[in-house]
Amino acid sequence: MTNRSRHLPGQIKLSRRHVLGVLGATSFAGYAGADDRTPSAGSDGTLEAQPFFGLHQSGIVTAQPAAALYCAFDVLAERPIELERLLRIVTERLGFLTKGGEPPATNPQLPPRGSGILGPVVFPDNLTATLSVGASLFDYRFGLATRRPLHLGAMERFQNDALDPSRCHGDLMLQLCSNTAETNIHALRDVIKNTAGLAAVRWKIEGFLPPHIVKTMGADTVRNMLGFKDGTANLDARNAALMDRYVWVGPERGEPAWTVGGSYQVVRIIRTMVERWDRTPLAEQEAIIGRHKGSGAPLGQTHDREDPGYEADPDGQRISLAAHIRLANPRLPETRDNLILRRSYNYSQGISASGQLDMGLLFVCYQADLVAGFVTVQNRLSGEQLEEYIRPVGGGYFFALPGIPDAGRYLGQSLLEAV
Amino acid sequence: MSASWLSRTLIFAGLVACLGSHAQIAAAADSVAPLAKDTSSHPRGQLSPDLSAALDACRTYVVTQADEFVRRTRAFVDAVKTGRLAEAKSLYAYARQPYERIEPVAALFGDIVKRMDVRADEFELRERDPAFIGFHRLEMSLFAEGTTAGLAEIAERLASDSTELQQRILATPISPTRMVGGASALIESIAATKISGEEERYSRTDLWDFQGNIEGSKAIFVLLRPLLEQDQEFVARVDRNYRRVEDVLSRYRAAGDFAPYDRLTSRDRNALKGPITLLAEDLSTLRARLNLD
Repeated sequence: MTNRSRHLPGQIKLSRRHVLGVLGATSFAGYAGADDRTPSAGSDGTLEAQPFFGLHQSGIVTAQPAAALYCAFDVLAERPIELERLLRIVTERLGFLTKGGEPPATNPQLPPRGSGILGPVVFPDNLTATLSVGASLFDYRFGLATRRPLHLGAMERFQNDALDPSRCHGDLMLQLCSNTAETNIHALRDVIKNTAGLAAVRWKIEGFLPPHIVKTMGADTVRNMLGFKDGTANLDARNAALMDRYVWVGPERGEPAWTVGGSYQVVRIIRTMVERWDRTPLAEQEAIIGRHKGSGAPLGQTHDREDPGYEADPDGQRISLAAHIRLANPRLPETRDNLILRRSYNYSQGISASGQLDMGLLFVCYQADLVAGFVTVQNRLSGEQLEEYIRPVGGGYFFALPGIPDAGRYLGQSLLEAV
Repeated sequence: MSASWLSRTLIFAGLVACLGSHAQIAAAADSVAPLAKDTSSHPRGQLSPDLSAALDACRTYVVTQADEFVRRTRAFVDAVKTGRLAEAKSLYAYARQPYERIEPVAALFGDIVKRMDVRADEFELRERDPAFIGFHRLEMSLFAEGTTAGLAEIAERLASDSTELQQRILATPISPTRMVGGASALIESIAATKISGEEERYSRTDLWDFQGNIEGSKAIFVLLRPLLEQDQEFVARVDRNYRRVEDVLSRYRAAGDFAPYDRLTSRDRNALKGPITLLAEDLSTLRARLNLD
């Protein structure tokens, strides 16, 4: 067994994912070689670290690790100076947690500084921590109203939504992704403890992906709780030009200057009625989604990454015009601006009042333009037949802050100091 | 042969009266395009004459229930609008019941259903949301607040929505898969929201809805049963599970009314869960047994 205390923070290596991300920025070509995708022998991933500083925050184009935690906060601070203190503390803690190291010793007569669930030395475990702000932060409290990103508002109700107010919105959203649930929980407990009096947890949800698929680094696609491959046709997050076009807010968008380098974040808790879905004929499941369940290929095709070929099927004989994948992305020239970067997880938590499983999709996406992106896609999907089997019950719209270059800055500084 | 079984089953379901309007309905149905966002397909091959006749009878059942729904809703709405509180309360669950029998077909018209049958917990603002109208908004005032005051507009909207639903059902072809699938969809509705008693939270009349869903499901099954003769074991099992549900429900019914949902013991709730789940599993194979897809 690895003795983690042997490793000093300075020895922590840059992860393969980060290397891939850098390569992806320059080489457009498909997937990296198999050697790059295979975890090195003996590596358990606990010492792999993702960068915390940069033009953009990590956790958006970073390859998804197996575990995610989303926690929305209400800011308790009442004055701008307290909000600044909150953001400085959060930045300092996230910087430490994503890098790892040994916390300072404490007097045993006092409570320990951290939860200790990772052991005496914190290891990074591929943790990314991504901080976003909700529309409510731009209310009267902090004088930020004029600096609100143009499209940022409270998430509206779409026709199939049954939004539970105890699982919606928030002043801040903290996305934690890492190799294991414990690492995310460790980070969350650390942040909560260190922001006492300044922020209160509003709601939280955890998600997971199968580690064996995650290890293929994108060569294989995760299945959702409906049993279908989900994300096959997603934007390639390693393609920097695509990300600049679809994900990152750039100066050309007419947004407040402080937003450049950030991204609109949508989080949706979408419950799937799995008992009922499991009692639906396979052919109907496939017609509703538009893909073969086994291979993930578009109906009538063989491979999951094949083009659905809509131009050869204008009347929806093969893939119904109402199929989920066709409504979500019709692949027409005029719908190219609606592409989004999806970064979803599966979730499972308890049961409904009827004794049915409460599980589904923790849908997350990023885009440079919320209206052209998620809102347009969701409006196209409204009324789809899949709605009989799914129910969005929570979530919110947020804006992922731009990255910071080094420890001399804090997350949100460009927002607070904007004029 | 098919004519004789058809008439027997129609008598069973108590539907003979409405056969006359049927040709007219079919004619109207042909002229309307299928719904935009429904992937269910009409079978490419010809349906057998027996299956075709059974599906026609199912459609007649749906149309009859839609008519009955309009009639009962009108009486309920009139009671609300004229301030007859006790009468309005007594008509509430009764008015909903025909709708509960045909819920999967009504669901094709989501815009109407979202007005008529929306529950407060579909809104973040819950009861305070101005879009919270329809049956359950009236239910809240009548049962939780004990008043008919200020309800006239919502009540009238409900009545006109019920009429619109009836007209749109008449004008829309219902695919065989949707129609046959209704038998299981009604059971799914029980399993998802009726068994928990979350549907009628102010009036506690959930068992009325429960009964309506069961009746609607069984009506479709009974009309199709003669086509399932080769599956005697399946038919017997489904019949048995309907009966188990009906037996439990009957213990909570007296003088044409159901006991409030909170009287249902946890033991009986579990006694319902078993046959409901078995029905859901069995009826999910109905379309395949009829070779519909």
